[in-house]
Amino acid sequence: MQNHLEFPPILMKKALSFVSLCALALSACQPAGDNDPIKIGFIGPLTGDVASIGTTELSGAQLKIEEINAAGGINGRQIELIVEDARCTGADAASAAQKLIHVDKVVAIHGGECSGETLAAAPIAEEAGVILLSPASSSPDVAEAGDFVFRNYPNDALKTIAMANYLEEQGFNKIAVITENTDFTIAFLESLRGEVAEDAIIFSEIVEPGTKDFRTLITRLKDMEFDVFFPNGQTPVFSATVVKQMREQGLEQPVITHDTADSVDYVEVGGESVEGSKIISIPSITDDSEFGSTFLARFDTPAASLAWAAYGYDAIGVLAEAIAEVGTDGAAMRDYLYGLKAYNGVIGTFSFDENGDVVGVTYALKDIQDGEFVIVSDITVE
Amino acid sequence: MQLLANALIAGSLAALIAGGLALVYGTLGVFNLALGQMVLIGGYVTWWLHQSLGLPLTVSIIGGLVTGSLVSWLTFELFINPFYKRHRFLPLVTTISLSMILDAVILLLFEERPLSILPGAKHMLEIAGVRIGQEHIILILLTILLLAIFAYVLHSTPFGRKIRAVVQNDHAAMSLGIRAFAMHRLIFILSGVLAACGGIFIGIDHSLTPVLGFPLTIKAYAAVIAGGKGNFWGAIVCAYLIALLEQLAIGIHWFGAFYIPAGYQQTVALLVIIIFLLFRPDGIFGSSSRAA
Repeated sequence: MQNHLEFPPILMKKALSFVSLCALALSACQPAGDNDPIKIGFIGPLTGDVASIGTTELSGAQLKIEEINAAGGINGRQIELIVEDARCTGADAASAAQKLIHVDKVVAIHGGECSGETLAAAPIAEEAGVILLSPASSSPDVAEAGDFVFRNYPNDALKTIAMANYLEEQGFNKIAVITENTDFTIAFLESLRGEVAEDAIIFSEIVEPGTKDFRTLITRLKDMEFDVFFPNGQTPVFSATVVKQMREQGLEQPVITHDTADSVDYVEVGGESVEGSKIISIPSITDDSEFGSTFLARFDTPAASLAWAAYGYDAIGVLAEAIAEVGTDGAAMRDYLYGLKAYNGVIGTFSFDENGDVVGVTYALKDIQDGEFVIVSDITVE
Repeated sequence: MQLLANALIAGSLAALIAGGLALVYGTLGVFNLALGQMVLIGGYVTWWLHQSLGLPLTVSIIGGLVTGSLVSWLTFELFINPFYKRHRFLPLVTTISLSMILDAVILLLFEERPLSILPGAKHMLEIAGVRIGQEHIILILLTILLLAIFAYVLHSTPFGRKIRAVVQNDHAAMSLGIRAFAMHRLIFILSGVLAACGGIFIGIDHSLTPVLGFPLTIKAYAAVIAGGKGNFWGAIVCAYLIALLEQLAIGIHWFGAFYIPAGYQQTVALLVIIIFLLFRPDGIFGSSSRAA
């Protein structure tokens, strides 16, 4: 197509000087020498609603890099982390991936955190042959996102299996669900439907995010016989509010939900109503564990659970191991990660399956006792 | 019956907010799009006084109301008064920007965590098979009491007559010696106090989160428009009506065959209102002459 735009001469001049400046900048990018730092990119939400998780992951990643660099780096080369904020959006993650891969020439990317970030960055990383390792995305779609895409955070599909197993163990075969309408919860509901008996979910309603009044749905529940209630909320507030209003109506059935409720907000909003709620979640990392005390000696108390920092820490750890073993070539790193037998990390001893999904990370079944989350048992899902 | 109780709880909340809005619209002809945020501020301040400073609940509620009236007074002086006489749509823009400012302020001061003025389960009572919290009964009764006081002032006192005069025609009212602009200010602040009541209601009933603001505004407008523009009682009746429709929509086994999915709760209620307005464009309680 012909370009009909005509620039005034002065603008043209400015544009030309800008282009030559860019050319200059690009020519400065020489192939990395043997003693230059190894660049690893970071994509995650550092501002916005999920910033608490992104910044905690980033601190975990930084901690690991500082430890490696202090010990002499990888084969004498230091690691440099190049950080990009993707605000939990696909668009920002895509441009961050473009910049990291084509301008900074990173050898691998730690991220994204939100599934939307990872899914948007994946095709770009895949095309360039750069490893993308997410420490937080749980959407089942990430498994299919590409050959170079890995994650050390478990796939939601496993969590539904864990929940279905628990329901079966307890002999719960009449399940009532109220779902908050978001991508994550709907996907979870659908995969749970596939795991339990066909007619096990006897009550299922989907309401818009932000709904606070569930009284009428609960009025309907009062006329039904069900064994267990599952508040399927994206936020802890949603799940806590439903459970609270359900208890207010005198329904005493047990409650089970997933890791979104693994937050102090759930207990704060729900109060005594959520006492005894069962939660299938990732194991927590305590402040006085080895990782916890090292982390807290270096950083302030993180905004989100310490477990996120541990995932970020291990993601850098496994990437560094791959680089140390096979160098910085993307395809070689990919093959190494697929072939990895076991990486001994903070979150557990894990490896990757043929989809790049983590294997070996366990879930924990938690119970709320006197307002505290207590781990009842570990759940291993194959 | 339980559905009716549920509707009373939801409707009382909506009525508090919509009532003030209807008065403001009726007298000033101004759309206040920051109303939802003013609701939240009343609730948040009450939470802060009660939960952070540990003051008794009644003192905290009074504090919340006073702050609500201060905020609405400032809003009137800074965002409404300089503009609304020039063009009645100007405050539309200024209050949108105010709503964004307040959203940010709330986020900054109280963060995005949910806050509950009275956390935990309510003290439930069972009356004729209906389970309802003591707190809810008090909230409903207080709302009705408040509205009754309003009704008395509006219809049986000289002051109320002045308000009604300004609502009907402010120029005519001024020619009779009523200081219409001072009335405007007063009515705006009153609407702010009612809004703060609504915020405290939310904070006691469930929990306050910063994102609640705009949906509250929308719902209040639905009641005001359905009730007939600027019709105070119309707005209140419609607020209860919409709440009842919402509960009926998802609570009844329609024709013995199906339930309407809960996601359509609000859609159904508003759809009924739209259909009604098709036949009565002046609102359900609207008449050709404006009345308060």
